[in-house]
Amino acid sequence: MLMIYQVIAIILGIFAIILSILRFRDGKMSLGMMFVWILIWLGVILIAIDPNSTNFLAVYTGIGRGLDFVLIIGLLLCFYLIFKMYNKIETVEEELTDLVRELALTRKMGEDTKKQDKTKSHSDEQI
Amino acid sequence: MRTFVVVPAYNEEKTIEKVLHDLSTMGFEFVVVDDGSMDGTNDIVKKFIEENNHGFICRHLLNRGLGAAIKTGIEASLEEDADVIVTFDADGQHDPNDIYTVINPIINQEADVCIGTRDFDDMPRSKKYGNSVMNLITMIFYGIKVGDSQSGLRAFNKKAAKAMIINARDYGVSSEIIGEIKRHNLELKEVPMKTIYTDYTMKKGTNLFEGLKILSKLIFKLFK
Repeated sequence: MLMIYQVIAIILGIFAIILSILRFRDGKMSLGMMFVWILIWLGVILIAIDPNSTNFLAVYTGIGRGLDFVLIIGLLLCFYLIFKMYNKIETVEEELTDLVRELALTRKMGEDTKKQDKTKSHSDEQI
Repeated sequence: MRTFVVVPAYNEEKTIEKVLHDLSTMGFEFVVVDDGSMDGTNDIVKKFIEENNHGFICRHLLNRGLGAAIKTGIEASLEEDADVIVTFDADGQHDPNDIYTVINPIINQEADVCIGTRDFDDMPRSKKYGNSVMNLITMIFYGIKVGDSQSGLRAFNKKAAKAMIINARDYGVSSEIIGEIKRHNLELKEVPMKTIYTDYTMKKGTNLFEGLKILSKLIFKLFK
């Protein structure tokens, strides 16, 4: 008999896998990342179906229960991902700023640009 | 010597025209960096430039913050072959006459960078605490003690403007500039200046929240 938390975890896992595949198909996720996410969520589903399967980890690592070990690893992984994401966003923000600056500089408007525009139209007339 | 005044502006339609009027009356070249304003700032500045055939504007299509705007302004000024570059706030808190105060040490070759220092005793209490904390933070993270690390009125010579690498996009830029001065062994001079406090200028600039944001970024930088 499945407990409610198991059912929720399984549904969540399946949903996340479908989402990963859809995002990959839309070109919004790389192939490698899709496999990583599918593996992670398959792991979650497997553990939800059979929580006792983590017992060997408990024996192996000396952490009381296998599920605790999984949770600790999960938490660490989450922190790592947040850190990675923060860095990524920071890089994107930097690139965005560079892009905005480049556009602003090429479209700079002022006294000289107007003079240049005038000479340009003047030479156009000559042609 | 060509002096360019960089005016970073974000939603400053109420004050920008007077600032530009003062600058052009005094004969200074200026570059307004409109940092993605959503009010009439951009139109007002463009109209002013067209009517007076004086000055430049660069528009950030998206709001990227004070630091990003200052960097754009410095680059635009260097493109125009500026010898001295001044940063000047658009909210009307600076007295335009103080531009002479900060550029004179540069023109006389006494310094590479000159920073206008506000009188902390004259400052409203809420600002005084925030700015004192920011001075302390600047000292801890960049190892240089200055009278007013968050001052918006600064002057650079060409050498300094080219050497400094500005990465901070927000208000953290003020501290970063101080750090860059130290990193490149630039000669720094601090001169006292006036600050005009109005209800409008009080709302802008570094407050406690901005201070905390800058602090968290600096700490993060340590671990990066």
